[in-house]
Amino acid sequence: MSQMMAVPVSYYVGLSAVIFFIGVAGVLVRRNPLIMLMSIELMFNAANLLFMAFARAWLHNAGHIFAFLVITVAAAEAAIGLAIVVTVFRSAKHVDVDDVALMKG
Amino acid sequence: MTHHVMGVDGSYPLLLVLWLLPLAGAILAWAFGPQLKTAAGWICSALVGISFICAVAMWGPGTQSVSGALGAHQALFSWLPGFDFGLLMDPLSLLWTLIITGVGFLIHLYSIGYMDGDRAFARFFAYMNFFVFAMLTLVLSDNFVGLLVGWGLVGLASYFLIGFWFFKPSAVAAARKAFVINVAGDVGIMFAIFMIVASVHSTAFGDAFAFAGSYNSGWLLAICVCLFIGAAAKSAQIPLHTWLPDAMEGPTPVSALIHAATMVTAGVYLVARCAPLWSQNHDAQMLVGTIGALTAIAGAILGCAQWDIKRILAYSTMSQIGYMIMGVGVGAYEGGVAHFFTHAFFKAQLFLGSGLIIHALNNEQDVRRMGGLMKKMPFAFIAMLTGVIAISGIPFLGAGFFSKDLVIQGALEHGHPYLYAVGIITAGITAYYMCRLLFVTFFGSYRGDVDPSELGIRHPELAGTPAHGADQAEAEHEGSGHGQAHHAPAWIMNVPVAILIVPTVLIGWLMFGGDNSPWAHFFAQQFPHPQLSPAPIGEGVTGLITFGAVLVGIAVAWWRYATASAQSRAVERLRGESIRMPGILTHAYYFDLALDLLFVRTSQLFGTIFGRFFDPQIIDGAVRESAFSAQWLGTLVRSFQTGLLRAYALLLVVGVAAFMIYYAVIAGGVHP
Repeated sequence: MSQMMAVPVSYYVGLSAVIFFIGVAGVLVRRNPLIMLMSIELMFNAANLLFMAFARAWLHNAGHIFAFLVITVAAAEAAIGLAIVVTVFRSAKHVDVDDVALMKG
Repeated sequence: MTHHVMGVDGSYPLLLVLWLLPLAGAILAWAFGPQLKTAAGWICSALVGISFICAVAMWGPGTQSVSGALGAHQALFSWLPGFDFGLLMDPLSLLWTLIITGVGFLIHLYSIGYMDGDRAFARFFAYMNFFVFAMLTLVLSDNFVGLLVGWGLVGLASYFLIGFWFFKPSAVAAARKAFVINVAGDVGIMFAIFMIVASVHSTAFGDAFAFAGSYNSGWLLAICVCLFIGAAAKSAQIPLHTWLPDAMEGPTPVSALIHAATMVTAGVYLVARCAPLWSQNHDAQMLVGTIGALTAIAGAILGCAQWDIKRILAYSTMSQIGYMIMGVGVGAYEGGVAHFFTHAFFKAQLFLGSGLIIHALNNEQDVRRMGGLMKKMPFAFIAMLTGVIAISGIPFLGAGFFSKDLVIQGALEHGHPYLYAVGIITAGITAYYMCRLLFVTFFGSYRGDVDPSELGIRHPELAGTPAHGADQAEAEHEGSGHGQAHHAPAWIMNVPVAILIVPTVLIGWLMFGGDNSPWAHFFAQQFPHPQLSPAPIGEGVTGLITFGAVLVGIAVAWWRYATASAQSRAVERLRGESIRMPGILTHAYYFDLALDLLFVRTSQLFGTIFGRFFDPQIIDGAVRESAFSAQWLGTLVRSFQTGLLRAYALLLVVGVAAFMIYYAVIAGGVHP
């Protein structure tokens, strides 16, 4: 097994962390909701990458199954997110998230 | 546990009928008063009369004695398992029932005449019938809770009737005072019931008395004291007596029925009913006997200082109930109850007689403005004379002699020489102030046309009671086109008074003959009869000593008010006496002031403290502070709600980072 494991698992963790924080940064700094949704997808896939890497490393199928769950959730999230974006655009004629502040306390 | 029922259990429809008829009358007169008009008076009187006939018919069952059970017991319903309601008629409650319905019937008849033309004629009879029902509930109940219900209801009826002429502020104040003091007594009885339930797990008289010997003596004393607080409030015993003179604001028939004959003797009934408890505790007997004697003499002395004919009678009622309480308190139950029995007749007689005068003199109640009425109202004079003879205790001529003697002698027999002496002195004072009332009212010449200030009446506008509802009703009659206001015939008021003369004079002979008297036989099985050592002074000698004191009282009254010289200078004498009357007597020993300072002012002070400080500062403050802190918290949390989506995201990231740092660093990292 270990011969097949050419790349050490820590590399995967590192890559995953980098992708995740790119996603975080995208959510925090961009004002376009479409870009923000794409950033969230990046975070999901960083998590997926970790699942796969650990599933291979420990030879356990739970990681695979979780990856499928995450993909499903991500699809649902994208659908709802895009619906919100369309709704906001219809009412406000723009999609700048900083201007969407109806619930400000 | 087994329950001890007093009386022979059975079905007694007559008992239910005599109990519920007055209630039916009350509801009828209440609901259909405007339609019934004067018929309400006749219907209500008739119902009480039928009740009386039923009570007479219950004589047999009420006095039966089968294997230790005395009287008749009718089960009604069960409240909780083990707490049953029922009616009990034994000789004691039979006696009270006969007086309530019998004397009550006569007073109802009299009221038809007295209240004639009052605009609330039917309402008056509704209240009167309601009172009779409440009083019957009180005396017929077979348990303490039923007794307390009746106790509260008679207080309510008394409140209604004292304040019957509610357009008089003084009547409203008197009604309120009577009610409040009586409720204080009700609370006492309630606590007694709590203690009884705690000891025997039952409220029935039978259970409470069956274990009377097994109570802890301090506990028993506490029960007796609590019961007596109730009895003292209802029966106008010191220091809870102040409501009774004020209660004379009610119509005179009310004073006769409620505040002389029946309701105010409920305390006597309570102590006599609880004789098994009192007999077990010498301290309780001593307390009640002493309070009774104190009330007897204090009331009698105050009777000497009054000018209002009804207030004189009110203080004499207080004094006579003092005798009764003294009798039942020391253990001379037959004597105390006997004095209730005779007093019900002669005091009703005196009140109804004074009602004749008040009615004839257009609501004048001040005896200084009467005088010389013997020729004008010979019938009222005879009525009052028999009453005065009876209450003064002139031997063999009136009923009061026999019963008062039983009480006084009973005090000595049960080992209370001081109370015995107080009883004799009080008898002398009683004779004095009752003869004073008689002489000032009926002898000499009429003083109604003399200027009030010449008679020493300081506030003439306050002295007499303002004209009552009759005048208003007459005005209404004229307004509604009835023309001349009709008046009931005089006989309707005279007949009950004439009938009452018979028992007032003669009923005392029932108590004549010591242990062989009909009276002693009637109560032979009712009360405990401890073995007593013979009294140092015999009954005949006691009678003589009492008669001596009575003669002195009459002589002083005669010398002061009835001699020729006193009669000729009556106006100056009365003025002089009014002016010289010591303040301690005209203010009734300042009891009102003392009660005012002790209870009214202190509770007002409490009210002020709580109203001015505690409530606004502590209670409202707590509410206000919790509102403020919620507001502050809201402002704080609201500042996070920027509406900026990316700020929320940043918070999320910071939160996740915090968790990660916690698990990675502080919690020592993840250990697979």
